[in-house]
Formats: sequence, structure tokens, C-alpha cells
Amino acid sequence: MIAAPDHVLDYPLATDGDIAVINLASARQQSWSRFWQDPQRPGIAEYIVEQEQLAAQYVGDLKALDRLETLVNQLDRVSSGAMRTALIHAQVAAMAHRFGEARDRLTQAEARGAMSADVQRLSLSIDQACGTRLQSVLEVRQRMAAESGRLEDLVPLGSLLADLGNFDEADRIYDRALREYTDVSPFAAAWVCFQRGVLWGELVPEAQSSRAAVWYRKAIEYLPCYVKARVHLSEIYLQSGNVVDADSLLVSVISSGDPEVNWRLADVLAATGRLAEAEEQLQAARTGFEALLERHLLAFADHGAEFYAGSGNDARRAFELASTNLANRPTLRAFEQAHEMALGAHETQAACEILVDAGELWGGTAAFRLSPLSTRIHSANLESRRAAR
Amino acid sequence: MSDHVDGPRSIGDPSIDLSDLFAFTSPANAGYIVLAANVFPSAGVSAMFSNVVNHSIVVRRMAVAGIGEAAKFKPDGKEFRFNCRFTALERGSDGGSPIQRGSFTFPGGQELTCVVNDEKGASTPDGVFHVFVGLRSDPFYLAWLPAALIKVPNLLQHDNVLSIVIEFETARVLGPAKGSLFGVVAETTPIPKPRSPIGHEPPRFDWVGRPEQTNMRLNNPAMDGTDDLRDLWNQQTPFAISEELQPVFRKRLVDSLTNWDMRDKKADWTPADLTAAANVYLDDFLLFDVSKPTGDTSFLEIEKSTLHGRDYQTGGGRTVNANVIDIMITWMVNNDREFMQGGALSATKPGVNSFPYLASPNTEMQTVADSADLAAPPETVWALIGSFGAMWHPLIAKINVVGTGIGELRTIETIDGKQIIERLDASDDAQRFYRYTLVSGIQATGYIGTLSVHPKATGSLIEWKVQFWADGQPDFVVRTIVSTLLKTGLESLKARFGASK
Repeated sequence: MIAAPDHVLDYPLATDGDIAVINLASARQQSWSRFWQDPQRPGIAEYIVEQEQLAAQYVGDLKALDRLETLVNQLDRVSSGAMRTALIHAQVAAMAHRFGEARDRLTQAEARGAMSADVQRLSLSIDQACGTRLQSVLEVRQRMAAESGRLEDLVPLGSLLADLGNFDEADRIYDRALREYTDVSPFAAAWVCFQRGVLWGELVPEAQSSRAAVWYRKAIEYLPCYVKARVHLSEIYLQSGNVVDADSLLVSVISSGDPEVNWRLADVLAATGRLAEAEEQLQAARTGFEALLERHLLAFADHGAEFYAGSGNDARRAFELASTNLANRPTLRAFEQAHEMALGAHETQAACEILVDAGELWGGTAAFRLSPLSTRIHSANLESRRAAR
Repeated sequence: MSDHVDGPRSIGDPSIDLSDLFAFTSPANAGYIVLAANVFPSAGVSAMFSNVVNHSIVVRRMAVAGIGEAAKFKPDGKEFRFNCRFTALERGSDGGSPIQRGSFTFPGGQELTCVVNDEKGASTPDGVFHVFVGLRSDPFYLAWLPAALIKVPNLLQHDNVLSIVIEFETARVLGPAKGSLFGVVAETTPIPKPRSPIGHEPPRFDWVGRPEQTNMRLNNPAMDGTDDLRDLWNQQTPFAISEELQPVFRKRLVDSLTNWDMRDKKADWTPADLTAAANVYLDDFLLFDVSKPTGDTSFLEIEKSTLHGRDYQTGGGRTVNANVIDIMITWMVNNDREFMQGGALSATKPGVNSFPYLASPNTEMQTVADSADLAAPPETVWALIGSFGAMWHPLIAKINVVGTGIGELRTIETIDGKQIIERLDASDDAQRFYRYTLVSGIQATGYIGTLSVHPKATGSLIEWKVQFWADGQPDFVVRTIVSTLLKTGLESLKARFGASK
């Protein structure tokens, strides 16, 4: 595995993040005005989906999903039988991790004449998010990336390679995406940097925190309001005892309303002994997560599970949410999370069953051999053999 | 949510997207020329310029190198480059809105700085240059669906753009004694990095000469199954299209112009004339002659006259109010046999005769929304309010209805004697909703109302939403009128059906 430090000095110039965020907000508002004037205007609903996706992904605007639900409800009212309504519905359902519904809507869109490229693009995303047919997804992603060379095709390929345990190749693809990007949107550049942070900080078997921190910092440099990058970087700072920087990273984005910010801030405050304030933040996080889970259970089940398994301190709720997530999308990561949370909730039998299921579904893959579940299965097999003797 | 593998389909910065270019004699001073370029189509009211891009307007002197079927305009080697770069945002004074500045460099090397959205703009001390940068009402209007050539209302109604306007003394900057015909393009290019980059930088992001070269001619929306040449075109160097690729673009232009000619099922162009026009379009710059008058109808006159083998009479160019789409469509479809008027007669706001010539920006659309939780089931509530002509609102004294179904008109007389006329746009009894537009009676445009009732627990939720642009009254005045209308109506329903807890 490549362990050399990354050099991030030469990467693309991009429009200042503050300008880009102001421009996104103002253009998004303009698009909604156009939509309300004429919901069937060609291209407008599709454009709003993209803008809301940017708002959710980079600005931590969690109301984006609610607004998109409004969009599809309105489209259902004015053109329920239209191909584009089904396609947009599928996109929004996929964003909310309602993958079954997304597939149904996609089938509907296809039957109504949706372009095969649009159907394939979303279908690939759903398969990748659910961990299904990954080998064929990989082949198509590689072909698309080779043909277009566009960042929008390269980053999903990098992400898939990382899911499959091919970390160095994933990093090379991310590197290429940045080097070959020929526009000036900071969203694109920040996205790639964030993915590289996640790759080296969370996905590799032995996290390289300082390497991940470089990329999270670069993502924030491109886009100061990048909530998720701030949250991830603050975790690294906190682990290394740098509570001052962890605190300042989070305080400036607390207004985003993302409960993950409250949660991590609670951890930082607790580490500095400010227990009453920490409890306040923890309560805000709990309320925030529950509000999100009530509206979009599948979209936030994995994050909710992490919260309750950590400072949220409710192992049963964590296991319940992790199980929900696993049933919705049986990725290797979902298995790992559900298994860990089953053990945390003392659900030994359930943990064993999850392990067996994971082995059946993922056992033959390279990624599984790098997973902690692989070691557990191996130990469990040894124990059964010993018991059989 | 954080682990989405798929980003948006296309991640580009919309603020570097060039939409239009204008060149005309200043209406305020005939000795001055105005060049203006717009970026960021559909910009919102708080839009700002990218701070990592050069915005340039580039002018070259032109010579008529051929007429008739050999019509050709040849650029001189020397360019007059007007550059503008923008800063990152600065904190506004006293916690006000952030400030951005644009820094200009002119052909003679002079420099000038201007604050974005400062209505007065800035001038050089000698008065040669006057500039403005900021948000304006989009003067472009497109009132056709180009693929099917169907008339529609202006598709860019209420849109804004970011404008860069440069007014300068013609004689001192362009030296028209050496030749008064010029070609102009606008381009956005990367600011060179301090040291050589790894990877590659594009030579430019976008450029524009005549309007709609890419979206209507090179990528004719009525020609299914053709390769999209727009990216390839945008990589070309203005005034110097690659000789190797010229045949590709020329063939596409001929095919496209042939298609446009036959949109009305009549061939108004001979093949030779189409080829000649394609050659002129291939040299994509906006022509203007500073020794002749420009006006709202002079757009393309230089090209047309030269193709017809005669001397041009006007300064060509493109004014803010030129109806460029209808002029172009008419020429392409019927060779000026009969003017083809689209579905709009002007932009949202016409340009003005004083600096900065593009009209002030459109205000934001206003939204007034209210809702109420009612104890009654949705079908009971809908039975009362679901008919477009139903009398249930306490502020309404009388309703007269004309027609039925979509298009139905209701004339409302309010209890204080005012009259409001509204038209039913869409309705669905099964989903318990209807949508209507204002015809008259409230000082607003683009006024759309939606009323809907949904099940909620054992009762119902009624939602009422109205959107509009205030017209002739301040936003807050119209908002107050509409809010009162909604609130009073919903309160009356709560009183009638009971509010659910």
C-alpha cells in the first residue's frame, strides 16, 4: 500500500468556497421560483435535484431531502405518468437510500422511454450503494471513466475500488480526477479531497490519520463550510488530543443543523471537562438524529447507529438501526457495523448470524479478507473445529 | 448521507458560463462604444463572480475579405483586450453584505477597480473608460422552443445575470482611422498559476461571439442523433478556428442551416447561399462598425449585406434590446421573407439609455405559505373548499364563475369592494388540490396559488401557498395583502371544523 505523504500543493485553482456557496444558494432559490412557475418546464426539476444534492452533500443542508420530497410530490400532482417524474422520483428515493422504491421508479422510467444512459447511471449508483453486482458495476465504471475521463465518472470508480479493497488504485483514480479537472467549481475539488480523506482515514485496514487529515484540510480549504469534512477532521484532532482545533472546526458549522456536529462537539467538550455543555450538545444531537430518522430512516440509519453506539449510549437502538441499514443495503461495511453493534447490545446469536451471512455474501472477495469479519469467521471456525473434536 | 458515491451529473461553476455579448454605440454619448458580457445565466440575487477566472472581451479590427458567395471577414493580428478579474469576498462594513471588487486592465495598460453592484460603476480619471460589474436583469429573451419551433412565453422571464459593462472613448482606444470595422468575442480563461501546474489547464472555459452559435447552430436541437460538437467548439481559439477542424464545423453548420431553412417546409436558401452563410458563421465574432449607427435592428446587418454583395449600412453589433433570437430565426428559416415573432415582445425589463444600460436586477420571487391542522377528515374539508368557485372565505362577498375545468375564471368581490380575477390552471379532486393564477386585482405578476388538503392523523392538513413578484408596490405591501388572505381563510376553517391537536 502506498504510504508516502500526499502533495496537495499543485491541485486545481477553484472559485472561493464562500462565493460558490452563495452562488449555489442564490441559483437554487432561482430554480425553485422557476419550478413553482412551471413544474413541467424542461430541465428545471432535474437541475433542482442536482443543486439540492450539492446543498446536502457539501453545505450539510439536511432539509434538502425534505425539499426534494416536496419536488416529487408536486411532480406527481402535475405529471404523475411522465417518464421524467419517475426518473426524478428514482433519484430522490436513491438519495434517501430508499433503494427498493428507487429501483421500482427506475423500471417505471425505463418503461416510459427514459434514456438508457440515465437509467444506467442511476442503476449503477444503486447497485454500488447496496453492494450488489459489484464486479459488473466495476467493469461499467471503468469503461465510463476511460471513455469520458470526467471527474463525475472517476470519483465513483475510485469509491468502488476502495469498497473492493483496492485502495492504492482508488487513490490513483482520485488523483487523476483532480489533476484532469478542467473547471473551477470548489465542490468538485473538495469532493475528491474528502473521498481521499475517508479512504486513508477510515477505509484502509490500518488508518493513516495524518494522511487523511491532509486531505480533509484541503477539502475544507476548497470549501470552508464543508460540514462532513470538518466533522471527520475534528475526530482526528480529538483522537490526537488537539481539542482546541477540533472545537473551532465544529463551532463554526453548528448552525448547519447536522446532529453529527452536536455529537462530535459534545465529545470535544467532554474531553475538556465541560460536562454540562457536552450534555446539552448530546441532547441536541439525540433530538436531531431522531428527527432525521423519523423523516428519513433509511438515509440516516447507519449514522444514527454510530451515534447510539458511541456517545449516544444506547446499544439496543444502535443495533436496531444498524440492522435496518443492513436489511436495506447489505454492503460489507453494513455487515461490519451490524455485527459490531450486535455484540455491543449483547445479541450474540444475532452477531453469529450476521457473521455467517456476511461470509456467504462477501466471503469470496478480496475486501472481505481485509475485513475484521474475516478474522472473526476464522476464529469461529477454529472454535467449532475444536468443539467438534 | 455522507457516503454517496455519486456526485451531481455535472459539477461545473455556473458563474464562468458566458451567456451573451453586446457591442453598440453608447446611447448617452455617440463618441463612446459599449461592450458588455454576461455570465451566470439564471443567477440568484446574491450571485458573485468567480475569483479565479479572467473575464475578457477581445476586439480585433476586421477587413471585408470577400463579398457575396465569397463573403469573408478577416481579423487583424493586433487585439484590443479588456480584462477583468475579481477578488474573493471582503467582509462588508458593519456586518453588511460581503463586498467583491473587479479589477480591469485595458488595452493601453490602464487599470481600474470597481465594486461589484455599485450602480455608478467606476471611471478612469481621464474619462476614457467607464465600467460596471454586477447583477442585472437578463436582457436576453427566448420565446420559442427551438427544437419544435413552438412559440412560448419568454423562457428567461425574471432571470438575472452577472454583467461586465465597459464604455470607452472610441477614437482613443480603437483608433478607427485605421479601419472602423471590428469583431469582438468574450471569453473566460484560467488565471495562470504561480508555478507550472501538474496536469493540464484548459486554454479557456467558455467563449462567445454571435449569440447561440453552439446551442442553435452547431448543436441544432432538431437534429437528432448528431454528435454534440459544443465542447470541441469551446476549445477552439477565437479568431483562429483550427484549420484541421474547420471542415467538421463547416459541414455541421451547412447541415444545421439546411435544417433551419426547411423548418417551414419551404426552401428559401440556395445551397450556395447556405454554404456562404455557414462560412460567415464559422468565423464566430460579433461584427460592429464604429463609424455607423447601431440600433435594435442592426444586428447581423453587416453579415447579411456582405453576403448579398452590397455595402453594409449600419454599425451591426448588438444592442441590449435587440430581438436577436427572432432576427436569427427569421433569417435562418425564411431568409427574411417574413418576420417570425416569438412568444415575447421584450425581455423582462428592457435595457435603458443611461449607464450601465442593462436594467436593474429582478427582485426575488415572493412566497407566502400557510397551513392548518383541522379536526375534520380531508374529504369533508375538500367538499367545502374544493370547487374553484366555492364560497367559504370570510373576506369574499361574492364569486362569479365563467367556464368549467382548466381555464375556468373566478371573479371575486371582496367585502371591501375590491375585485380579483383568477384562472384555474390545474386541479385534481382525487388528490384534493388545485392551482390557479392571478389575472388581475393584486399588484403582482407571475402570481400562482396552490391549495391542497391531505390526510393527517384522524383529521387533515390544509396547505395554501402563493408565489408572486410584486409589481408596482413594495414586496412587503403585497405580502401583507396575500398573508392576510391566507391567514383569514385558514382561521375560518379552523373555526368551522376545529383545529386538530
